Amino acid sequence: MSDSTESKSTDINKDSGEKRVGVFVCECGVNIGGVVNTKAVAEYIGTLPGVKVTSVNKFTCSDSGQADIQNKIKEHNLNRVVVAACSPKTHEPTFRACIEQMGLNQYFLEFVNIRDHCSWIHMWEKEKATEKAKDLIRMGVERAKLLEPLQASEVPVTDKALVVGAGVAGMQAALDLADMGFQVYLVEKEPSIGGRMARFDKVFPTNDCSICILGPKMVEVARNKNIKIMSYSEVKAVDGYVGNFNVKVEHKPRYLDVTKCTGCAKCSEVCPVEVPYDFNEGFGTRKAIYVPFPQAVPLRAVLDKENCISCKACAKACQSGAINYDMQPGFTDLNVGVIIGAVGFKTYDPEPRHDFGYGLYDNVITAMEFERLLNAAGPTGGHVVRPSDCKEPIRVGFVNCVGSRDKATNIYCSGVCCMYTIKNAQLLKEKRPETDHTIMYMDIRTPFRGYEESYNRSRNLGVKFLRGRPSEVKEDPVTKNIKVRVEDTLANEIRNLEFDLLVLATGIVPHEGINQIQQLLKLSKAADGLLMEAHPKLRPVDTTIDGVFLAGVASGPKDIPYAVSQGSACASRATILLKNKKAITEGITAVVNPDVCAGCGVCLPMCPFQAIKMDETPYLNTGIKKANVVKALCKGCGTCVTACPTGALEQSHFKNEQVLAQVKNVFKFQEVVA
Amino acid sequence: MSQDSQTIKTAHQIVMQKGEMYVGWSTKEDVRKRGGSGGLVTSMLAAALEKKLVDAVVVLKKMNEFEAVPIITSDVNEVLNSAGSLHSVPSNFAKLIANRNLKVALPAKGCDVRGIIEQGKRNAINLDNTFIVGLNCGGSMHPVVTREMLEVMYKIKPEDVHGEEIEKGKLIFETKDGKEHAITIDELEEKGYGRRESCRYCTIKIPNNADIACGNWGVTGDLAGKATFVEITSEKGAKLLQNAIDAGYIQVQKPDEKGVAARSKIKGVMEGLGKKWKDKVFVPMDNRLEYFRKELENCIDCGACKAVCPTCSCGDVSKCTEFHFRGDAYRMSMYHLVRFLHLADSCIGCGQCADVCPVDIPLTRLYRRFANPVQEQLKYEPGMDMRKPPFFEAKLEV
Amino acid sequence: MSSEAAAAPKTNGWEPKIVAFCCNWCSYGGADSAGMGRFQQPASARIIRVMCSGRIDPLHVFNAFLEGADAVLVTGCHIGDCHYVNGNDKTKIKYKFLENVVRELGLEKERLQLNWISASEGEKFANFIRDVTEQIKKIGPSPLKPEGVV
Repeated sequence: MSDSTESKSTDINKDSGEKRVGVFVCECGVNIGGVVNTKAVAEYIGTLPGVKVTSVNKFTCSDSGQADIQNKIKEHNLNRVVVAACSPKTHEPTFRACIEQMGLNQYFLEFVNIRDHCSWIHMWEKEKATEKAKDLIRMGVERAKLLEPLQASEVPVTDKALVVGAGVAGMQAALDLADMGFQVYLVEKEPSIGGRMARFDKVFPTNDCSICILGPKMVEVARNKNIKIMSYSEVKAVDGYVGNFNVKVEHKPRYLDVTKCTGCAKCSEVCPVEVPYDFNEGFGTRKAIYVPFPQAVPLRAVLDKENCISCKACAKACQSGAINYDMQPGFTDLNVGVIIGAVGFKTYDPEPRHDFGYGLYDNVITAMEFERLLNAAGPTGGHVVRPSDCKEPIRVGFVNCVGSRDKATNIYCSGVCCMYTIKNAQLLKEKRPETDHTIMYMDIRTPFRGYEESYNRSRNLGVKFLRGRPSEVKEDPVTKNIKVRVEDTLANEIRNLEFDLLVLATGIVPHEGINQIQQLLKLSKAADGLLMEAHPKLRPVDTTIDGVFLAGVASGPKDIPYAVSQGSACASRATILLKNKKAITEGITAVVNPDVCAGCGVCLPMCPFQAIKMDETPYLNTGIKKANVVKALCKGCGTCVTACPTGALEQSHFKNEQVLAQVKNVFKFQEVVA
Repeated sequence: MSQDSQTIKTAHQIVMQKGEMYVGWSTKEDVRKRGGSGGLVTSMLAAALEKKLVDAVVVLKKMNEFEAVPIITSDVNEVLNSAGSLHSVPSNFAKLIANRNLKVALPAKGCDVRGIIEQGKRNAINLDNTFIVGLNCGGSMHPVVTREMLEVMYKIKPEDVHGEEIEKGKLIFETKDGKEHAITIDELEEKGYGRRESCRYCTIKIPNNADIACGNWGVTGDLAGKATFVEITSEKGAKLLQNAIDAGYIQVQKPDEKGVAARSKIKGVMEGLGKKWKDKVFVPMDNRLEYFRKELENCIDCGACKAVCPTCSCGDVSKCTEFHFRGDAYRMSMYHLVRFLHLADSCIGCGQCADVCPVDIPLTRLYRRFANPVQEQLKYEPGMDMRKPPFFEAKLEV
Repeated sequence: MSSEAAAAPKTNGWEPKIVAFCCNWCSYGGADSAGMGRFQQPASARIIRVMCSGRIDPLHVFNAFLEGADAVLVTGCHIGDCHYVNGNDKTKIKYKFLENVVRELGLEKERLQLNWISASEGEKFANFIRDVTEQIKKIGPSPLKPEGVV
């Protein structure tokens, strides 16, 4: 260790002058110390030029470890700090804050990973791990010497929010934000808010009537003065950045004046056209002009132009003269500070693959269809009947994990199917005790409050649980009963069962609109096709785009309480921006050196955020229009920097020379011994 | 002179259009005499300047039989008195007009056109303001090599040369005493003389990427040697030709079918030869690393090859120069590695880099080694259209 | 293979040095996950973190070779998963060009490799490092490695 005796009067935030590096090697208990010889590492690093002090701590991230850094900064007048410990992905912010407290620019920290990338993966090669740790820290020290101070910049935030999707998650987010006093635009593509939950009959584990608890919430949303509902509308364009998003919303024509329509449904009564009713999963019919469902908000009719035969009967029937056949789509431009995406999901469609005979045999239905049959307001008035003969079934089979936990469809667990199957079986059993229920499952998953109890309850009610997946499903051509061959993997025997009705517990999948919203909001998509959060554990409702948040199933399967919590979480995260009226943008951005820029413009198409613009006027007397980076839009990926042939574009904190400093120090000269 | 042009009216009003072909000549006798092939190009350029279609014109100012310098001029007389084409003046005009914001018309060989278009893609030339008069080109010769060739092969003093001509595969020099000296180009090239290497394997013989393509191929019968065959390849080209006719600087007529066929036949033969040369020069080889190291061994990092490169739009400072350190380039030159990469899609094979290299590294040949596979695989021909260089695409379809 | 036998003496105790460029969001996280899962791997790789694989400048790759890298790895998020929308699409293009230079230059193809590794694919990361190390051990040190460099 080369302790310094030189002058200590250097201004620690000045970038020029002598680079005084302190290196702090963490043992992470035995995680690092048990493999890497930290003493030897520190000793070697102490001999590197510019390193004024090295220190080994048991836990550098602990209070005493951080105090050690701060003391050494003071004592040795350090202006660069290298921490060799775990992953910057988890601990960089901690140490940035630590050195910032001492008046150092936070970007003067260099973080070297000698745990995840060294001690943990070379546990049985202690010497090699020690040598590698030396290399990694040497790379870090040389990079640290070239680090430059950066300032994160501030942008103003418009204190209005956009919530896309008015399911239960979106509604919750909108309500919370509105109650905190912020103007919220709630955009829903369907004619009514409510989302999927409005279609459920009862909800587990308490088996409350779904619409009875959701309905009041929908009304609350409609009544809230701070919420502007834009139903039957879609987001068409999003421009701008955190605090200042410009959004174009298209209002699809309902072909009637919503200010005049009273939702009396007189129009539907006279309409001669009947089409399958999508709200009832295609069971029963609705008219070409219809009110989506009795509890719809807004309670307004909508004309389905595709099926309308222009008989104009509705126009005659409408007492308020609301019908307007020539209605055109309308557009609204919004300026909002934050966007919450709660765009929902759809259930897996077993039709194309004919999973378990769905689509081939009448008496194989999905759980969502079963749900509508159970519903008192559904097509059968709450009587569960089988489609082939409209008789009420006695023997009902349920198959779990259809479109979930299956390499051929989706590998993930949809999380809700076990519970809703249990609930569905219970409900029918309670309604008609003579029925007989068999749930064919792979595993029963009941993790949250009341779930296991609900499971126990259905066992007590006599619902049978059979661990196995049907290997063969066939229809009896005469009775139309469904014959299932299934291995009971607990009893280790093949069972041949016959059911009057087979219900498939279809999983959660992304709906078609998710790509559009992903592109509009520039979000990432995970392997499951759903949207990706900023961090799966620590930032579950944030996205990688500042000012954009995600709630509900759009970012992974969730049940209702989880989705509602996420709605509230989004509102809370968004409020930080809305309340402060300002946002801190990325300090790491691309920067153009106009003296070097040749104005060739090849960088422009490299930027997915349209952050690079060509200047309107030539630079000084060069006659050349140079590239210019709009800092608030730049996310700091550095892709443009790679493309730039001149080197005029640099990415701060990852400048070419900073990266090259690391590259060069991977290696060291060793005298060749003959 | 402008009065003169008033008196010569075209017999009937022709409206020039893209895709049309003509045979034409200058209406000015002195231009016809001095320039080759009827002086059409010279007159067309002069007319563009005269009628303010452009503010400037690039022409060659002759120094002697082997030297001429390109100049940018706004003087119509200077244009009319300019050199015409010389086989041993292989300069490239793209960089000459880059970043000058000119409204300009200029003659251009295939590789000049490609350079200009590549500069256009990089915002250094505004192609809307640039009228490119393409010239058919079978290849050009390096002036230094030409001098040596005259002494070694022709046994004549370079100073005695009065004129040159290519006829039936022979390169003919006329000396001041009126004698003609002819050797076949094949023989010359066998001995390492004749056309520059890059010209041998070039396959852009008729520059259809220009606004108008001009040359003597396809001029038949009585007009042979006295007129220029033109093909209009863009709206700008049509404008340029129309302007020259309206100004009375040139006269045109429709080419005969025989001429059109002859022209396309020559083109085909020349392109075929180019392809053959390509296979001959770029033979697959083992030990490539050793080869490149050997060839680049003498590089003195002067940067001339980059400065002259018509597709490079960087200024003095660029990645290839700023991150090159002789110490690090212990086994291979960083400068050239970056250039190999940057030129992989953009190299037009003009040969300028090899021409200017003070230590005679066959740079074009080296660059083409890297460019050939990329350009073939990505089906990208730099300088032939406005397609963006693939290196700067956001997503590649190929 | 006969070359294997020929190269064998060189590999005696020799550990190649591999420079691995990782993007902050996926492959660097993948390397972290490899650690968290304790997936053991040869101590040959030195990771250099950039924000996006699109920032992996061919310049840096060339420099790594000139400094003595026996192999250089370009890694990033899976296509479609880029944190910056489509940075890795551009990486793919840059890599194509890089690959061309390395191939035409006469370096073995094993010396430059591209792989998409997500933040959760720790085992994949470890296997990748192990595989590349094995391949490089077979072909020996890079011909561009300066003398005396380790």
